[in-house]
Amino acid sequence: MLLALLRFRLRRDRLQLAVWTVALLLLMVFTAAAMTSTYPAVADRVGVLRIAMVTPALLVLRGTPQGTSLGDITVFEIATFQAVLIGLMSTFLVVRNTRAEEERGAAEALAATAAGRALPTVAAVLEGVVANVLAGGASALGLIAGGLPTVGSIVFGIALGAAGCAFVGLELLIAQLAPTGRSANGWGTALVLASYALRGIGDAGGTPHPASSTLTPGWESALSPIGWVQATRPYAADDLRPVLLALVVGALAVWAALAVQRVRDVGAGVIAEGRARRTASPALRGPFGLAARLQRGSVIGWGIGAVLLGLIGGDLANLVLEQLGSTAGVAEAVKRLGGSGSDLLGGFIIAIGGFVGILAAAIAVQGAMRLRQEEAAGGADAVLSGAVGRIRWFLSLVALAVVAAALALVVAGIAAALAALSAHPDGSAGTFGAWFGTIVWQLPAVLVILALVSLVFAVAPRATIPVGWLVLAAAAFLGELGALLDVPQWVRDLAPFSHSPAVALAHPSFVGAGWMTLGAVVAIGLACVLLRRRDTVP
Amino acid sequence: MTAIVEASGLVKRYGATVALDGLDLSVQQGEVHGYLGPNGAGKSTTIRILLGLARATSGRVTVFGADPWRDAARLHRRIASVPGDVALWPALSGGETIDLLVRLRGGDVGSGEYRRRRAELVERFQFDPGKRARSYSKGNRQKVALITALAHPADLYVLDEPTSGLDPLMEAVFSDEVAALARSGATVLLSSHILSEVERLCDRVSILRSGRIVESGTLDELRHLTRTAVSFERDRLSDAQLAGIPGAHDLVVAEGRVSLTLDSDAVAATLPALGDLGVTGLRVAPPSLEELFLRHYGDELVDA
Ligand SMILES: Nc1ncnc2c1ncn2[C@@H]1O[C@H](COP(=O)(O)OP(=O)(O)OP(=O)(O)O)[C@@H](O)[C@H]1O
Ligand SMILES: [Mg+2]
Repeated sequence: MLLALLRFRLRRDRLQLAVWTVALLLLMVFTAAAMTSTYPAVADRVGVLRIAMVTPALLVLRGTPQGTSLGDITVFEIATFQAVLIGLMSTFLVVRNTRAEEERGAAEALAATAAGRALPTVAAVLEGVVANVLAGGASALGLIAGGLPTVGSIVFGIALGAAGCAFVGLELLIAQLAPTGRSANGWGTALVLASYALRGIGDAGGTPHPASSTLTPGWESALSPIGWVQATRPYAADDLRPVLLALVVGALAVWAALAVQRVRDVGAGVIAEGRARRTASPALRGPFGLAARLQRGSVIGWGIGAVLLGLIGGDLANLVLEQLGSTAGVAEAVKRLGGSGSDLLGGFIIAIGGFVGILAAAIAVQGAMRLRQEEAAGGADAVLSGAVGRIRWFLSLVALAVVAAALALVVAGIAAALAALSAHPDGSAGTFGAWFGTIVWQLPAVLVILALVSLVFAVAPRATIPVGWLVLAAAAFLGELGALLDVPQWVRDLAPFSHSPAVALAHPSFVGAGWMTLGAVVAIGLACVLLRRRDTVP
Repeated sequence: MTAIVEASGLVKRYGATVALDGLDLSVQQGEVHGYLGPNGAGKSTTIRILLGLARATSGRVTVFGADPWRDAARLHRRIASVPGDVALWPALSGGETIDLLVRLRGGDVGSGEYRRRRAELVERFQFDPGKRARSYSKGNRQKVALITALAHPADLYVLDEPTSGLDPLMEAVFSDEVAALARSGATVLLSSHILSEVERLCDRVSILRSGRIVESGTLDELRHLTRTAVSFERDRLSDAQLAGIPGAHDLVVAEGRVSLTLDSDAVAATLPALGDLGVTGLRVAPPSLEELFLRHYGDELVDA
């Protein structure tokens, strides 16, 4: 019975499992190969680790420096990312086989049979173990194929698979608690990201040992399944004790989940969906208040993302300063790329500004797409049946998109400036004005993109969402990669971000910003006129 | 009497589809006007035009003497509506949605009058306003729209199949509420497929087919257009006696009963003849709206 169910599910999920396995394998092959070609000599690896140890952002994004061999640097670069992927795979797998299945009604049919309620859950655990054996095995094979030592690669694979099993157990427990299948997925994803963040804090706050290019992470890492992967230190120590810890935690969580399952209803979590308000708060009035209420979650989420991006950007200025101070050869190469030495920092700040600008544009475009989503779902008509005209409704949603994007730019600007100044209070990593100004002055370019998508909404509503993504992707591509890929200058000039004032350089020009703002206002005005002529399009 | 809603020669095209094809409609102040028609006849389209949510391709339409497309926002302070397709925001609770939509109509949700009225409707419709809209059943979603429309007074109520999804008990509550609106002098345009509801509530009825009004008038006027059904026991009446009944149509004898139909304005003239025959178990059924309805819907079936 159990085996039949497991076989049925494995058959059903075989394509997904195959895609995950192959993707994890290829990622390891390419990473190992890339490390060999990027850092062929020990001196190269020592150099990059030295920069990393004074750049917390890099430690957060990468991992624990654990030595200078090729294997060590591979673990540093990819271990945490691979572990996140495996954690997400485990989350989705568990939720799909438990709560999502219950909500589809399949589990109810099963529970009614003699098999009992525990059976589908046990089958879900077994499938999770199978998936993680595949994931760990694929990772190890990929590393060996990429040219790394066999024993260390196997330990790395085992560590990843064991962390995945821990996530399977923990997600199973979450699936018992969360009110809905959707929230179980959300909470599970949050757990994986929290594990990543926790060990990020551990790595950034750890004790560096520059002589051996290693770092002892802070205690926070010991609380994170992803930290346990790093703690095995494949290739350097091959310590299997954290693997045991991961498996024990996973097993305990499974045991707890099965105990909880006996007392909960099928289709409902232990934590019930919260009661909602019975009356509207004073802020829930008018189309702007409604838009703010509906989008506040995503606005806050984007805002946190903007702060993190700002902090990382400001902190990464260290990279530039290190390179400026390094050997003449490097400085020479950098100069050829970016002009004179002093402009190099300015150019870097502008590049970070461009990244934040794209994030803000994504926020704004998402806000503009809301126009279409509300129209198609009928929310627009509900508002327009009140004493609200089309134009007021339209401008309210556009205004919210502007506010959300501007807010993200402001918080990112402050975060970046503070990150740069806290490491270099003398302003050698850029002044407050250079960072904040550069980032906040991305707003006109963001407005142009927002206005364009809003205009599309007024003219061809059904095209709003595809065009929105397209415009965003094109602006991001041209703005960030255009110079690298030798795209002709006139094509690059189409990207709004290339006209943002270069506040971090001497004598910035604000002409482009003025034109962009004017263009945005004209486009929004035109959209209002056109909108008065058309019906709601379902 | 003043016309609150006035439409003439209204045409609405969606690409090649003609939703309204020269529609004339007039709703007088203080009346409850039933709006009937088969699926796809154009009821919802008409209502969307009256609310300024859709724009007529051609023709003239006024609501309170103004153009609903241009003056929608101003007019909506005086209009309460229930859409044919109730759309709610999944994350908002029913109570929040009601308050929000009433605020959008210009209502003051802090006033004692509103709070009393809302509480009364919540109670009468047995509605739980503290749940998120995504978890409401079809009937409960409909209740959100009904309570929104009824909780804040309006001069004109535009209701598009307002009872769809309600159970019979709730339908009765709704009928009561509409009857109360009628007594208070409000004007109501009520589109519906439920004939008993229309028959009970409406002063006048317009029947729509393929985007045109095919019949319009008071229920009495419309009844004249149809036949009254008469039936009685056969007893020992001879075929000749039956054939001699003046004005009889569609005479059938089945299971010992005679059924026939009379032109509705000829019923009085025929009754003495039935008396002379001494019929027993006489039943005279006035034409129901259903028959009216079937007459027009039936044509459509024949056409098709
Ligand atoms: N947005 C639209 N785009 C294209 N065709 C439409 C649109 N809205 C309505 N129609 C068409 O117009 C016609 C009238 O539709 P309408 O919704 O007014 O009918 P209805 O009388 O309300 O029907 P029901 O009783 O089913 O609610 C139908 O043929 C419908 O397909
Ligand atoms: Mg309809």
